[in-house]
Amino acid sequence: MSSDPTISRRRFLESLAAVGVVVACGPTAAPAPSASSSASAPVATAKPVSIEWWRRNYTPGSQNAETITSDAAVKGWKERNPNFTITIQGGPFGPETDQKFDIAILQQKAGPDVFHTTGGDVLKYAAAGQLSEPPLTDAERRDFNPSALQATTYKGKVVAYPLWIVPWFEYINVDLFKEAGVTPPKDGNWTYDEFLAAAKKLTFKRANGKQAYGFAHANDEFAFMLIDGGRPYDKDVKTWTFNSAEAVSGLEKWVALAQAKVMPPDFLTLNPNDSQARFLSGDIAILQRPSAMINVLNADKNWEFGKNWDIANFPKAKGDQTAWGGVGFIAVREQQDADKKAAAHQFAKYLTGPDIGPDLKKQTPPVEYWLAPAGRTSAAGIYGDYHPAKAKVAKMGAFTYVLPNVSTWSEIDQKYMRPARDAALEGKKTPKQALDEVTPAAQRLLDEANR
Amino acid sequence: MTAALRRHGWSYLFVLPTFSLFVVFTLLPVAQGLVLSLQDARVTGGSFIGLANFGTLADDPVFRQALGNTVLYATVVVAAQVTLALIVASLIQPLGTKSRVFYRALFYLPLVNSAILVAIVWRWIFNPNPFGLANATLGVFGVGPFLWIGSSDQALLAVILSAVLTIPGGGVVLYSAAMGSLPRELYEAADLEGAGPFAKWRHITVPLLRPTTLYLVVVYTILAFQVFERVYIMTNGGGPNNATITIVQLIYSTAFQFGRYGLASAMAVVLFLMAMVVAVVQFRSLRTDVEY
Repeated sequence: MSSDPTISRRRFLESLAAVGVVVACGPTAAPAPSASSSASAPVATAKPVSIEWWRRNYTPGSQNAETITSDAAVKGWKERNPNFTITIQGGPFGPETDQKFDIAILQQKAGPDVFHTTGGDVLKYAAAGQLSEPPLTDAERRDFNPSALQATTYKGKVVAYPLWIVPWFEYINVDLFKEAGVTPPKDGNWTYDEFLAAAKKLTFKRANGKQAYGFAHANDEFAFMLIDGGRPYDKDVKTWTFNSAEAVSGLEKWVALAQAKVMPPDFLTLNPNDSQARFLSGDIAILQRPSAMINVLNADKNWEFGKNWDIANFPKAKGDQTAWGGVGFIAVREQQDADKKAAAHQFAKYLTGPDIGPDLKKQTPPVEYWLAPAGRTSAAGIYGDYHPAKAKVAKMGAFTYVLPNVSTWSEIDQKYMRPARDAALEGKKTPKQALDEVTPAAQRLLDEANR
Repeated sequence: MTAALRRHGWSYLFVLPTFSLFVVFTLLPVAQGLVLSLQDARVTGGSFIGLANFGTLADDPVFRQALGNTVLYATVVVAAQVTLALIVASLIQPLGTKSRVFYRALFYLPLVNSAILVAIVWRWIFNPNPFGLANATLGVFGVGPFLWIGSSDQALLAVILSAVLTIPGGGVVLYSAAMGSLPRELYEAADLEGAGPFAKWRHITVPLLRPTTLYLVVVYTILAFQVFERVYIMTNGGGPNNATITIVQLIYSTAFQFGRYGLASAMAVVLFLMAMVVAVVQFRSLRTDVEY
């Protein structure tokens, strides 16, 4: 029996409504977390079982990466487990879909059996008792990247499966380096001073009047504040520490880039798409973006890896080598149906484990499942096999700083940290003044997240 | 039951469908918003906290900045748009019928454009780089370049300019239609008195257009208070250092990004009260008993 994993937007909404009706007519109490969940989960299910997988940006029939890899993942899983039927439901990236997840999982206590999630969602759903604890063996725990595992830990318990770590690093326009007579960093390693010196030389006006800039970022992360060892929180994620001397020093290094005018004048409002477009048009020599941009460059025949572009690590200063990064997770929703829950855990392990990469690579045509380096060692190797650029990125997980999950981070970030950073970068406040001013609000929101 | 009600009561059946839709999709959400503003509402539910959300807003510097930006934006944009609409309508009024219709259509047509597309174009116009249209144009005259949306000092100015420089087609059409219905005998009398074109415009046209002006001022003020897409697209939803953040932008992020539905509803209530108070003041100051 073959299943059709595609589902239209209408069916997605209909099923949400149906779930709401069923829940409204059924028992009102939330299913209590089963004490036996860990024990029952990994048991192979012989009888047919049908589960729902909710995947953001899954659009039936489209060619986006999420759709292609999700369809291929279901196909790969069904070849191993013919008794399973997996239905994928999608929704665009953004608040609209986030809200649908929240309403289904938090209000209706229904919805997906297994789903992709990120950041604060993990804590939010875990705090509501809606996540089923992954039944991990000790060997599996050791296999996961520790920082990724920590990012999915709630009150001492791992509540979801780390899927991948998405590092931010430097994309280098090799042609522009040659034009400016600058040597790219050897093996992709450079200090902050070398980076700054290169960015200055790479900022120049061509004979035709076209301006080139040494460096740009898409204004969506705080990598420079890690460079001297600064971190947003203490080890226990109880105290806000992004106004420490190390964080201030990191912001000063960021401000130095603005003062040296090595960034384009719209650097404070540069969004990801624009920043990539500017890099592709040859205006930017060094662009800080996550691993997903590798596929953008590979899709453009004018950009040949090693010849026109390359990859370098984030510059190193007083602290250890770091990169800013995010983590994707696969979570299993807590529910009373033991068969479904067990099946969902098995599928979640497959989605995050070492088998799926080779399975999808064998398909016709081959599918690159890992859109970023895997969150566990045993699954990480294949990402590097896809492309030489990805081989370089695959090693970055070891030093990528994954922001610990704090449910109020988006408010801290958007409402307080970004304006503070902007004020420092514009020279309206000193880095210390800017970071000190937001500390009370950030600490208050951190306390709220920890309650 | 009065005789009138007995005789015409059945006609309310015809109003019922529209009234039901109004209640379900307008009145109830507004009432729900009011209730939420008194709760610590999250997606998981909420508890009654009285006026605490309003206290939080009073202490929140970001909300105060959004409030100030919204008021400044509305004041400048409404004044400019109403004035511009009046001037443009006055300029096309003396033309022949065909020309008048042509220009009305010309000024109104851009309104059918998606607000998002318009905002994207303005983002390019006020791009801080030399290739931004504003900088490129001013550069021809040796002026600039300016940072526009890339600077916390100029970003709000750029957003306001983008609204001011967009000719308000709806206002032009309304003024133009109203001017067409002004009584001719007043202008004939003024001609006999030797009044020039500007004097007639100043002392006859403008005063008689007060009902239209009142309508436009109230509608444009409410629209200006609700500015969102322009800020969201042009300045990534708040601009450098929150320079362009407005109340609706903050409502959006507070509700859908921070998950604080109660607090966002309290902001919406503040916005509602602001619009209501301003509308009442405008009605009182601009209303007229003149009929023609």
